[in-house]
Amino acid sequence: MNLALRDISYHRFKFFSSTLGVSLLIMVVIAIGGIIRGVILDSATIINKTGADLWVVQAYGAHPQGGTLGPFVETSRLPQQVYHAIEAIPGVAQASPLATAWEHVEVMPHPTRLMKFMYINALLNTASMVKPGWMAMPKLQRFIVIGYQRGKIGGPPVIVAGRGIEASHYEIVADVKTGFQLGQHMRLGNFDYTVVGLTKNMVGFTADPVIYTTLVDAQNIIFQQDPNLVRSQRTSITKPFTELAATQPRLAAPLAATAAATAASTLSINAIAVKLVPGVSAQQVAQRITRWQHLKVYTAPQAVNLQLMGSNRLILFQLALFRDILVLIAGIVIGLITYTFTLDKLHDIAMLKLLGAPSGVVYRMILQEALFMGIVGTLVGSALELLIEPYFPRRVVATYGDIAQMLAAMVIVVVLASVLAVRRAMHVDPRSVLGGG
Amino acid sequence: MAADYAIHAENLAMVYGRGATRVEALKGVELAVRPGDLWAIMGPSGSGKTTLLTILGLVTTPTGGSLRIDGENIYDGKQPDLARLRREKIGFIFQSPNLIPFLSVRQNVLLPLHLAGVRGQPAEARVRELLGYLDIADRADLHPNQLSGGEQQRVAIARALANNPKIILADEPTASLDTDRALNVMRLLRQVTNEHHATVLVVTHDHRLITEVDRVVEVLDGRIQ
Ligand SMILES: Nc1ncnc2c1ncn2[C@@H]1O[C@H](COP(=O)(O)OP(=O)(O)OP(=O)(O)O)[C@@H](O)[C@H]1O
Ligand SMILES: [Mg+2]
Repeated sequence: MNLALRDISYHRFKFFSSTLGVSLLIMVVIAIGGIIRGVILDSATIINKTGADLWVVQAYGAHPQGGTLGPFVETSRLPQQVYHAIEAIPGVAQASPLATAWEHVEVMPHPTRLMKFMYINALLNTASMVKPGWMAMPKLQRFIVIGYQRGKIGGPPVIVAGRGIEASHYEIVADVKTGFQLGQHMRLGNFDYTVVGLTKNMVGFTADPVIYTTLVDAQNIIFQQDPNLVRSQRTSITKPFTELAATQPRLAAPLAATAAATAASTLSINAIAVKLVPGVSAQQVAQRITRWQHLKVYTAPQAVNLQLMGSNRLILFQLALFRDILVLIAGIVIGLITYTFTLDKLHDIAMLKLLGAPSGVVYRMILQEALFMGIVGTLVGSALELLIEPYFPRRVVATYGDIAQMLAAMVIVVVLASVLAVRRAMHVDPRSVLGGG
Repeated sequence: MAADYAIHAENLAMVYGRGATRVEALKGVELAVRPGDLWAIMGPSGSGKTTLLTILGLVTTPTGGSLRIDGENIYDGKQPDLARLRREKIGFIFQSPNLIPFLSVRQNVLLPLHLAGVRGQPAEARVRELLGYLDIADRADLHPNQLSGGEQQRVAIARALANNPKIILADEPTASLDTDRALNVMRLLRQVTNEHHATVLVVTHDHRLITEVDRVVEVLDGRIQ
């Protein structure tokens, strides 16, 4: 016969309504944890899924130490042909030139019901903070364009619908979060593109979804060279070579090739993702690229760290702090509930003591009731959180690990929270049953 | 011989508070009750009846005197485990039943057995026997608030009897019952002393009930007359 269970089952409504309150609090705690993990995953996913060991980006002039935080945090631009030189470095298995940039298209907003609710709620919340128009329903879909060479790293890691890019031009693979449909056409830069495949979970640290194109297409979209400018540039760039060829007819063929290569080399990219041969020291290759190519190199962890810089990291700090505060509040709530439940039972506790119940029996009953609230509250709250998780616009990912951690934390919090109630029970005098009539 | 007494109190004294609020509730009380005796304790309000009962019930530690319960010298210097002695040797009955509201009738009677470590079949059998004895077997699975006052009092008596205590202390157990039911309770207590050889002390104001008892003790101003 367990006294705590008997009490809980007799006062079902009292206990379950209190536990539900605790559950909702825990749901929010787990959700904040899920939001934190979501921001971290969003910030890391492109770097992780690309699988590069090194990220090579632009340095300022010849000072690689002062390099850019490219390609996602700051603008980085470097000549495309550099990747050939990097690929030639011993230990480099693959150097993949990438063109990356934020782009947007105009879309008709068709928000889900939750999204509408959240939007109106946000308007009410920020009513005293913003001026008219600041929070207008967005009619633009922003995304990150990543252009890659087919067969090299940096492309979509999975295809959840349709297929990967096969043609050299005008095909895109979009993250499902863009809301684009298979077969949908859209104009990006000067050309029309068709969505041939969908991928998932590919977003930047701003949570903007990614669309993939071939490198050439991305260069077109991002740099949007005016064809006339390109033509005139080409003539001016090749001019010295053609003039030289006119005086040196024997060198005409090699000069023409050099001219073409030089013209082509005006193409820009934003970063080079480098995959190393297994076992090769990333540090050494990075040093070599820095010294000889005058470029900035980041290891994959450094690149992830960059995504989590500044405000992105600070918001995680704040969220983590508020998560702790909520756990503290849950502890205080459980402590007060347990205390009032104990006050309700003072007479029964006196009777138990009079019947010769050892103190442990009484304290165990109080502690078990508090633990019931804490543990059932955590489990129910976690289940609720897992249920609502998929409906949020930004990624919210709680794991069983989070829930286990929360359970452990709650056990400690609950034990501390019951101290007040146990102390009250300690002072109950069994004599109070007698004489009271 | 001292061991022949179920309760043997010598020169018991009880002083509450100090200074201006000092109350001498008991003054040199001598009491020797044999096993199987049913005594009534009477006296005016504030005379010290409940105080005496809480001392005999090992709930209150007297400020003076000595006390033997079932041959055991309680305050002989060592720290006594009063809770253990209470659950093994003493049963309490009060004016109000004081049942645990969240336990069923069966569980309320089971409680003292449970606390004394009696579990399983023997405990269940004892509860069934007591509920039958007190004619409340058909109420076993109800909770106290679903019973009448008289039924609740019978459950409280069953609970007091559960551990076969050597001593049963009852503080105005019949005060909230009508005369018929009150007489029934007294007869029941008489039966317990006869059948189980338990010692019963009943505090009461009701002179109609003392026909059943072996002896009436008058408490007046903290002394036994
Ligand atoms: N815990 C206590 N602290 C201080 N004084 C007390 C305490 N309990 C009882 N007293 C005092 O001791 C005296 C005896 O009280 P007790 O409760 O034993 O009387 P009683 O004979 O049971 O009275 P009643 O018939 O009204 O129940 C009273 O003067 C009372 O005020
Ligand atoms: Mg009294």
